[in-house]
Order: sequence, then structure tokens, then C-alpha cells
Amino acid sequence: MDAAVFIVSAVVVLTGAAGVLVARNPVHAALFLVQTLFGVAVLFVLQDATFLAAVQVIVYAGAVVILFLFVIMLLGVDRAEDLGIEPIAGQRSVAAIVGASMLGLLLTVLLVGVDGPTGARGANAALGGAEDNTRRLGEALFTDHVFAVELTALLLTVAVVGAVVLARRVRGPLQPMPVVTVASATGSDDASATGSDEATATGDDPAAEADDEGEAG
Amino acid sequence: MLAVATPEVLWWALLPVLFLSVGGLLLLTVASLVRRLPDWLPQAWTVVTGLAVLVACVPMWCEVRDEGPRTTLAGSVAVDGSTVLVTAVLAAVVVAVALLARPYLRREDLPGVEVYVLLMLSAAGGVVMASADDLIVLFLGLEILSIAVYVLAALHLRRIESQEGAMKYFVLGAFASAFLLYGMALVYGATGSTRLALVAEHLSATVLVDDSMLLAGIALLLVGLAFKVAAVPFHAWTPDVYQGSPTPVVAWMAAGVKAAGFAAMVRVLVTSLGTHASDWAPPVGVLAVASVLVGAVVAVLQTDVRRMLAYSSVAHAGFLLLGVQAADADGTAAVYAYLVVYALLATGSFAVLTVMGGDGDAAHHLDDYRGLARRRPVLAGAFTLLLLGQAGVPFTGGFVAKLGVLAAAVADRGYWVAGLAMLGAAAAAFVYLRILVSMYLEDPDAEAADGSTGPAVPLGARVVIGVACAGVLFVGLVPGPLLDLARDAVPVLVGS
Amino acid sequence: MSALAPTAVLAASSAVPFAVLPALVLVPAVGALLVACLPRRRPELLKLAAVTTSVVVGGMAVWLLSGFDVDHGADLQFVSSATWMADLGISWTLGVDGISLFLVVLTGVLFPIALLAVDPGHDDRAYYAWLLLLEAGVMGVFLALDLMVFFLCFEVVLVPMYFLIGRWGHGNRAYAATKFFLYTMAGSALMLVGILALAFLHADAVGGPVTFDLVAIAEAQAVDATAARWIFAAFALAFAVKVPIFPLHTWLPDAHTEAPTAGSVILAGVLLKLGTYGFLRFGLYLFPEASHFFAPVFLTLGVVGIVYGAVVATMQRDLKRLVAYSSVAHLGFIVLGTFALNTEGIEGGLLQMVNHGVSTGALFLLVGMVYERRHTRQIDELGGLQKSAPVLAGVFTVVMLSSIGLPGLNGFVGEFLVLVGAFNAHRWFAVVAAGGVILAALYLLWAYQRVFHGPAEGDNATMPDLRLREGLVLAPLLALIVFMGVYPKPVIERMEPAVDALVAHVEHHVDGFTEPTSQFGSEVEPGHGDDDGHGESDDHGDDH
Repeated sequence: MDAAVFIVSAVVVLTGAAGVLVARNPVHAALFLVQTLFGVAVLFVLQDATFLAAVQVIVYAGAVVILFLFVIMLLGVDRAEDLGIEPIAGQRSVAAIVGASMLGLLLTVLLVGVDGPTGARGANAALGGAEDNTRRLGEALFTDHVFAVELTALLLTVAVVGAVVLARRVRGPLQPMPVVTVASATGSDDASATGSDEATATGDDPAAEADDEGEAG
Repeated sequence: MLAVATPEVLWWALLPVLFLSVGGLLLLTVASLVRRLPDWLPQAWTVVTGLAVLVACVPMWCEVRDEGPRTTLAGSVAVDGSTVLVTAVLAAVVVAVALLARPYLRREDLPGVEVYVLLMLSAAGGVVMASADDLIVLFLGLEILSIAVYVLAALHLRRIESQEGAMKYFVLGAFASAFLLYGMALVYGATGSTRLALVAEHLSATVLVDDSMLLAGIALLLVGLAFKVAAVPFHAWTPDVYQGSPTPVVAWMAAGVKAAGFAAMVRVLVTSLGTHASDWAPPVGVLAVASVLVGAVVAVLQTDVRRMLAYSSVAHAGFLLLGVQAADADGTAAVYAYLVVYALLATGSFAVLTVMGGDGDAAHHLDDYRGLARRRPVLAGAFTLLLLGQAGVPFTGGFVAKLGVLAAAVADRGYWVAGLAMLGAAAAAFVYLRILVSMYLEDPDAEAADGSTGPAVPLGARVVIGVACAGVLFVGLVPGPLLDLARDAVPVLVGS
Repeated sequence: MSALAPTAVLAASSAVPFAVLPALVLVPAVGALLVACLPRRRPELLKLAAVTTSVVVGGMAVWLLSGFDVDHGADLQFVSSATWMADLGISWTLGVDGISLFLVVLTGVLFPIALLAVDPGHDDRAYYAWLLLLEAGVMGVFLALDLMVFFLCFEVVLVPMYFLIGRWGHGNRAYAATKFFLYTMAGSALMLVGILALAFLHADAVGGPVTFDLVAIAEAQAVDATAARWIFAAFALAFAVKVPIFPLHTWLPDAHTEAPTAGSVILAGVLLKLGTYGFLRFGLYLFPEASHFFAPVFLTLGVVGIVYGAVVATMQRDLKRLVAYSSVAHLGFIVLGTFALNTEGIEGGLLQMVNHGVSTGALFLLVGMVYERRHTRQIDELGGLQKSAPVLAGVFTVVMLSSIGLPGLNGFVGEFLVLVGAFNAHRWFAVVAAGGVILAALYLLWAYQRVFHGPAEGDNATMPDLRLREGLVLAPLLALIVFMGVYPKPVIERMEPAVDALVAHVEHHVDGFTEPTSQFGSEVEPGHGDDDGHGESDDHGDDH
């Protein structure tokens, strides 16, 4: 029974996650995200963590994703990014390789470490009845982890302050982007390095200024 | 009714965090309620708060020294020597940055309260990191610190570089945080606790049949922390962020963020996962050497002084990692001594850069320093001392710091690591020499020579540069007190 | 050969009225601070303060000479110690023995001369402050008996020298200064690792707390041979750059040529000796086995340096550069003598250090004086100076002959001893090196001929002669040149016990190694008196 539920919900989670990545329409992506989050909630139930399952549904699926949807709708759904071009050459193949190796790594860890680090089977039913769950969670949060909870408040405040600061209207004209000059000297001995550094420095200066003026105008 | 035993709280141990966070939030509230805040108030408030934390550190230090290290809030917060030392460093840097910020904001015509608020909150995050005895608390501290710094980096709203740098920093920083969090989760999975003391206890009491999950967790932790302290190959954000951010903020990043990052790294790796040092020390050694070499060599190719110092900060991170990879008390003490010295060097250097930046904070090209010795001999002299300190010339604090970490590495039989790092240090010397050459050996441009006397040095900057120089020289000549302090600061885990 | 007694028993030295060695280091440092505090616009006051300080230091150095106990020349005297970094066992231990004594005196004498001889022309305050700091650092190197203190001083002299070359130098000074700094910094980077490794390995082997005490580490010889060789290599690299030994010498001509006159004098006179002194005190004494193992390498490089320096000097068009390359050759001699690993060689090397400091210092002063008058150093543009400036030409002759190694002047004694030592140890090296002596005569005499002989045209004909002040500055150097050539005994008898003890130390710690003494030992052994005799008679002959 457990296994069957797990497999079904795992499939739900994974297809949802894949859907988020694949979907071209942002709204669809958000909906796939809801699917994943629901799947995770089921997994929580399976672990007897009923409170977390409820929070998962209410907070994530109910609030966070809805906010996402609002933003997407406000910004307009018709604008889709052109994914055909690669901004950095070769980044996809590199990403594929890195991703594949990551997956390989994780699979190795999972397959090699099936029995858990201590060699004993995992056990998760020690929490007692489902009604105990919320109480224990609350207790943990307000005893062992009370400092973390308080800190979260501070973290959220910082985030809000930051968001407000960044979203503020800019006063005055923007400064142009200066041109960064990197010395081209790669000579192995000091003689050529010093010499050509100075050369580039003086040589590049007028060019940089000209560029600045060009952008400003 | 159920009786829930609430954890005991040592309030004095939380004073620094309370001062800084309440100070920041109060300032924010007052600033949003009062329409016209006097210009000097935010700065003065920040300086007072920072000094209050510094003062609070004294009794804390005595308490810890006399009564031994303590843990509070159910073992999630530690008070030991390292906590107090790093807290004091952070508070001092906060004061310095506040002193630098006001003339900078006025020169750049930027609004003035948020810097101070974010600075104090960020410092609160740093203090939490330095005192964290629990992985979750550590992570939250890191996030408080980081998010505030992301915003600080973008604070020069009219400079596109500032926005660009902040964006890079944010994206890569978030990425690093994810690594860190995943690593923590795996360590929790392998050891059954997020408490650093319990993790250490578990690992020393239990022989893991299969430690692959733990190792994966350590690796991810390492990646996350290496991002934060800007070690190669996770340093890519550093030059752009240092170049783009407002210069006083860079002083905070270089001195404060690095100190907090290394404090966290030492807590997690050396004290908590010390039993597995043989697993993580070699990769840390590789990171150290790579950081020193890449930082030094790439810095040579720069022509922007901020980028030079950014890469040199990467090299400094490498030296600090040298102390971490020794994985013993000597190495840890050396790291703390280095952090103190580097805080002095970095704050002082970036104070000079703040002054030199000129309108628009753009005059950071090497050519802008030409003939500074003639225009501003004292400023040039101070910068010279700071740069020589960074190069690790004897009789400056920089040498004492480098000697400590090298000695720790060599005592640990890390000859290759130490040798390569020293070669990197020699290469880095060229970077500082290029700035010196510009200041002393090249004549000022014709137009600059015509009577302009160089940038004005505001009082705040004078104080910061003066204190930094005095500190660097003092530590170089009389290293005993700092080394004793650092030795007393080596963290000890207290089981809950 | 005074038994196999340990080289350095920390002798309770005869009545020391005050801590003279710390004073030798601290007085110039304090003087530098003082100068830095004086008003910028009073050059004469600044000069007075700087010269007074250096004269006081010089006086103390000379007083040291008189207070030095000749009978215990092998022992470290005037030892004083103060803890610096308790954690790492680093302490300011200073002491002097027959090996360092004359280098200290040389430093004490050369600095006032360099300060008096030339005025910087601009930024006087910084100039004098840097020179005095340099003196403090150099004194520290020669006196240090703690590895870490030695390293600190060895490194810190770079900074004043960098600024002296860079700010008050000529022509391509920024390049020369940077090259000088980087070469030496890179060279000594590994030495720090070597020092740390040595201290920790020593502490492990003898099971005590970590110490950087030179005598303790050198006498125990507790580190195993392979490790010692690696560490020696790290040390040797630093010294080889500083000396400089042949393939690492390229910074030297640039630095010498572009440095201001005082800088060249100090650089040639004192700074190059840091490397050769390092080889003796921190090479042979600290790593006898490794020194013996690597000796062929250094002998070869020394000889190559002698020939190479001489050949390249011959081809120089710039008078100052010529003198700079002659330094490469002279230092080759010193290295050759040092690694001959016998009493004559090392003694000769030591003497040559002092001699080279005196005569090359004087040569640089003279070249500086010519440059000051003619604003050129190109040999082609000079000529016939003998007619317009006979006194200068005369002084130049004496100094040049001393540099060539003419019997009766100081250069001869040192070179002769080095050649004897090298001949006893490795015959063919000595033969080749002797060729270098001939080349030295060639390039110096040829240069002299082109500069001072011939018809004087244009500005050369009206060049003013030596002024009184310049004469007074040169006088002590000339006196030393002649005195040490005619009567080197007081110098040698103070060096000899320490050198003997050093050779004995090497013999004691290297299996199967005995000092390569003369095949015709009976002739050479009483030879020092003999040298003097030769010197005197030749001197008379020369005066004609």
C-alpha cells in the first residue's frame, strides 16, 4: 500500500516538475508547479506529517502559486521568451553534461546509501498519533528552534526593506556604463608585462572616454 | 494543560544581535515616521550602535574567558571566544563603514537611511553566523547577511554597474545558498541533528558504515561556503560586484562578510565536522592554493584598482583557507588573527578608494592614482602602508597574519600548499607594486598637475584610514596581544 | 684548526656597557622616525639629522670592533635576546661573531658616506627616512640569530630600496625598482616556508617547543638529510637571487644603473652581501650536509658568474652598468670561496665581501660624481677627464686597481685567498676563475683608458675636479682600501676562529668529508703572513 501510494505520488511530483520546465506558457508552468506541490503534500501524509501536508497545500499551492499567477497575469501572458538562441555559446551542452553528472552523483549516493548512513533501516513512526503531530511541531518550533523562528522574522523584514529600496523610483540621470579595460599583457616576464601594461593603459584611455560620451549622447 | 519547557535564554549573550537588529529596525521606523530626519542622525545612530556592540563585547569576553564557553537557547546559539572576537570585528567594521558612508552618500547625492538600516541588519546576520551552534540558525544568519548585502550592492541606483553587480551577486548568492541548504539537509540526514555539537558528538561516537551521504553533504556545504567567501573557482562574482557596488559597501563586503563567512566555515568544518577533516581538508587545500594563485595572477592583469583589490581579496581568501585546511587549533587561531588584520587592511584600503572615487564613484582607474604622492602625500603614504600590509611585508600586520596561516599549514606537513601559496603571494606583490608605481613613480597628468590637489578627505575617512594604519603597524610590530586574543578565541563546542 | 668544538657557545661577552646590538638596529629606525617628523622644507636640517644618526650607528659599529674579544672570535658575542612572538617561539636574538663583525662595521661605515656624498635633490625627508630604515634592516640581517627575525629583516630591506630606486633613480627607474622588488620577493617566498618547515621538523625531532633559534637548530642538526636538502634549496634560492648568482642576476644591472648614487653604493656595498652572508650563516652553518651536497652546483655557477660578468662588463657602454656587471663577477668569487668549504676559501670570500663593499661602493660614488658633472655615463661621450680632473682620475685609479685585485690593495688579499681555497678544493674551477681576474683587469683598464685618457673635448675639458667635501667622503674608503691591502691581519685574525669553527662544523656533520686543505699545505698554512709580505713589497713597487 505504502509503496503504491509513494510511486503514484512520486510520478505526480516528477511529471509536475518536468512540466514546469517544459511548458512554454507561464500559466501552464505555474499549474504544473501546483501539481508538484500537491504530490509533495501526499508524500508528507505518507510520512505521518499531516500538519506539514496541510501547510504545504495551504501556503504553497494556495498562496504562493496564486501570487505567481497574479504576477504572470499582470505582466501579460502573451510575451514568451525566445528560447531558440543561446546567450552564451555552448551553455546547453555544458548544462546537459553538468546536469547528467549531478544526476549520476545523486543516483550513486541513493543507490549506494539505501540503508542509510548507520546501516539500520529508517524509522519514522515514532511520532505517535496524527493529532500529536501539530503539537510536537509547535513545541519544536518554540523550544528547540525558537531562535530560528525569530530570525526568520528578521530575515523577512530585511527582504521587505530590500524590495522597497530596490523598487523605488530613481532620482536623477543614470550614469553611463564605463568601458572596462583589461590589460592585454600576458607576457611571462616582467619586462613585457610592465611595458605593455602602460602602453595599453595610455592607449585605451581616449577610446574609453569617447565611448562614454557616445553612450551619454 | 501541557507543560512546555521553554529553553533558557542567556540574554547577555544575545546583546550584539539585539543591539544591531533593534538598532536597525528602530532607525527604519523613525525614518519612516519623521518626515525630515536630520542629516547626521542615521550615521550617528549607527556609529553609536556599533560602539555599543563593541563595548558589550568586553564583558562578554571576560565572562567567556573566566567561565568558559556557553550555549544558550536550547543549544542553538554559542557564546565562545570566536563569537565575541568576530562580533567585535563586525561591529568595528560597521562603525567604519558608517563613517565612510555619509560623505559618500552626500557626494553621490543618494538617499541616506537605508544604507545604515541594511548595514546594521546585515551585521546582525553576521553576528548570528558567528554565534550559530545550529545549522538552521547558521543558514538564517547567512541569508539575513546576504540579502541585506545584495540590496546594499545595488544601492547606487543610478550606476548601471551597481545594478549589474548586485544582480550577479544575488543570482550566484542564491545559488550558493541552495547548495548550502542541501548540504545541511544531507548532513542532518547522516547525523540526525542540526546542532553542531550533536553532529560532532554523533560523528565521534558512531562509526558510519557508509558515509557517502555525509560526504555529499560536506561537499555541498563546502561549495556554498566557498561561494560566500569568494574562493576560486566560486569567485566569479567578486570583481564585478566589487567594481559596481558603492565603495563603502565594498568595505563591508571585504571585511565584514568575509569575516562572518570564515567564522561560519570554521564553526562547521573545523569544530563540528573535525572528525572528518581528512575528507574535507584536501579539497579545502586545493581551493586555497587555487584562490591564491588565480587571485594574484588575474589581479595583475587588471587596470581598475577596485578589480585589483577584488582579486586580491580572493587571494586573501585563499590564505585564510590555508588556515582552515590545517584543521586544528593553531590553524583556527591563525584564521581569526588573519581576519582581524584583514578587516583592518580591507576597511582602510576601501576607505582610500571611497575617497579617491570622486564624483560618480568612477575614478578608480590606475591612471587616476598617478602622482598621488605629490598631490596627497599623506593619503598616498597611508595607502602605501595598507598595500604593503596586504602584500605581507614584514613589520606590518599582513606579515603576522600570513605567517600564522603558513605556520599552521607547514606544521600540518602542507609544504606544497604553503609553498604554492607563497609563490602566489609573491605574484600578488606585483599588483600592489603597480599601484605604488602609479602613485609614486609616475608624474601626474598635465591637467591634474595644474593646481588640483587631489580629492578632499572627509573627517570620517581620515579616522578610518588612520585607525586602520595604526592597527596594521601595531600588529606588525607587537603581534603578541592579537595572537593571544586569537588563541583564546578558538571555538570549543559545548554539548547541550 | 681548533678542534671540533661547537661553533657558537653563547659566550657571556666581556663587559657590555649597554645593549649595543639592539641599539645598532633601533637607532637608525628611530632616526628614520625622527627624520620623518622634521619639517619637509628644511633639507639641511634633515640631512644633519640623518647623518648624525648614521654616524652614531657607525661609531657604535666601530666601537664594537674594539670591544670584540679577539680570543673568542668563534663565539657569538654581545648576545641579547627578547621574546617577540611567544606562541611561535620567535625572539629578537642578536649576536655578532667573526663572520658578521666586519659586515656590521662595513654597514656602519658605508651609510654615513652614502648619506654625506649625495643629496637627493627632491623629497629629502622621505629619502633620508628610507635610507635610515634600510640601515636598520641591514643591521638586523647581519645581527639576527633567530631565523624568523633574519627573514623579517631580509624582506623588509626591499621596501626602502624599492622606493630609493623608484623615486630618486634615473631613467627607467620604475621598471628597475619593480624588477628588483619582484625578483627578491619571489626568491625569498619559499624561504619562509623553508624556515617554518625547518623549525617544525626540528621541534618534532628534538621534542621541544617550536624554536627559530639559529644556534639551537644548527647545533642539533636533527632534521633528516633529505628534508634538509629541500629546505636548503629554498634558502639557497632566496640567497642566490640576492647575491645574485649567475642565471638569477638580471635584476642587478638594472637596479644598479637606475638607482641613485647612494642607492647603488648601498646596494653594491651592503645589500648584495645579505645573500653571501646568508649562504655562510644560514647555508653552511645551518645545513652543512646539504651545502656540501650542492657545493658543485654553486661552484660551477660561481665560476660561470665570474666569467660571464667579466665578459658582459667588457661590452658595456654605460660606465655604471659596467661596474654593475663587475659586481656579478666579484660575487662569483665570493660564492666560489664560500663553497670551496675550506678555511682559505671562506675567509677569502668574507674578506672579498668587505673589499667589494668598499671598492665597488667607492667606484659607484666616483661614477656618480662624474655623472653629476657631465650628466652622462656613456663611455663614448666621456674622454680625457684626466686632464681636467686629475685628482678624481687618481682616486679612480686606486679604487679601480683595488677592484682588479692589484697586490697591495685590498682586493688582492681576498681574491688570492679565494683562489687558494678553490684550488685546494677543485683545481680546475680555480684555474678558470683566475682567468676572470685577467678579464677584470681588461675591462676596467680599458674603460679607464677610454674615460680618462685621450684628448678632452667640449665639456670634458672643463669638468671641475673633486671638491673638498667629495674628497673627504672618499678618504675613509681609500684609507680602508690601502690599509686592508697592506695589513689585513687585524681583519683576518678576527675572522679566522669563526671561519675555522664553521669549517669544523661542516666537517663534523658531513660523513666522510674533510676540509680540502692544500696539497702543498705546508707552504700555504703560514701563508697569511706571507700574503702580507707580498702585498707590502708590491705596494712599494706600485708607488713608482
